[in-house]
Amino acid sequence: MCALALPASAWGTQLTSISAGFSPDRLGAHTSLSLGFGVSTPDGSLPAALTSIAFHYPPELGIGTSDLGTATCNPAKLSYYGPSICPPNSIMGSGNALAKFQVSPEVSEETASIALVAGPSQNGYVKLLISATGTYPVQTRIVMSTLLLPGRFQISVPLVPGLPEGPPVAVVRVKATLGGRLTYYERVHGRRTPYHPEGLLLPRRCPRGGFKFNATFSFVDGTQSQAQTKVKCPHG
Amino acid sequence: MTFALVAITALAAIPALAGATRVREVRDEGHMRFLSAEATLIVDEGAMSGTIPGRSRVYFTYNGSPNVSARFVIHAAAGNLDGRATCRLNNPSSPTPSFRGALQIVGGSGRYAHAHGSGELFGVFHRHGYGLVVQAIGKLTY
Repeated sequence: MCALALPASAWGTQLTSISAGFSPDRLGAHTSLSLGFGVSTPDGSLPAALTSIAFHYPPELGIGTSDLGTATCNPAKLSYYGPSICPPNSIMGSGNALAKFQVSPEVSEETASIALVAGPSQNGYVKLLISATGTYPVQTRIVMSTLLLPGRFQISVPLVPGLPEGPPVAVVRVKATLGGRLTYYERVHGRRTPYHPEGLLLPRRCPRGGFKFNATFSFVDGTQSQAQTKVKCPHG
Repeated sequence: MTFALVAITALAAIPALAGATRVREVRDEGHMRFLSAEATLIVDEGAMSGTIPGRSRVYFTYNGSPNVSARFVIHAAAGNLDGRATCRLNNPSSPTPSFRGALQIVGGSGRYAHAHGSGELFGVFHRHGYGLVVQAIGKLTY
């Protein structure tokens, strides 16, 4: 198969959007946090590949005080074997992604499953490992990492080569949930006992204007795009 | 969730004349149970045993930064003691990260109305269940 390289002018401004939500959506309760983003172009052409995302989230969210990630996974093992090699108590969430790549003249797409995993902490901060595994048509796995700083985190996204002489793979949609229906294990009276971590703790008071999230996306063509969203204050 | 009490060795207090300022070496320890939370603020309560026994309420703030803080009140028989601490939390991905830092007594009531002092606070945060184990060691003047 012969792939055509796209001229630089084929990349233009990327349009981005983000989404966020809590489940359950109840102040003062434990919850899971769903975050997502989308990337597109005004003319529907293949967007440029992401190189980094800087995410800002409400510091009132009890991510630090959550009971998610009470074990850690080795990043090298995660990269080679996938999240199934990780201790159950290191799994912090899951999601999926959609990526597109040029198979001239067509644009093909591939879905990938995402695992959010606790990695070895760094400088006292929780390290979040993000594993994205695609199987068809290209079998690949990339592992990214970020430190969960109060109110923000930044992810450097490695470029995934597309076909020879073609542009790198472009991630166009991601949705992931921190928390959710997870099963951890603890020793109770010497027996390995399962339990479900409760997740993040929402504050009892909603900040004025709701819970605000924003993100800055950087692309391989040197452009940037910003997006924001907010989760409205729940009733009651 | 219940915790087993840990044996404490209380140091002997320095004898003092009635009405005079007293200085005491203090060592107190307690297992705190989760009471309530406001996202990054955990409120625990429990019995403190040691040099100044009583009931204690601890307000523990952890927003994901390893620099954590705590305010506490010890309701002792002779009065209340108010204090605060700034600590460094280690191993945040452990089910029971530990923390350690500087402690200050900033006031109180009753016999401890003019209390002041300093020392160290050691502790463990139980991420499943939000319990705290705390140990305060220092010098108290009142």
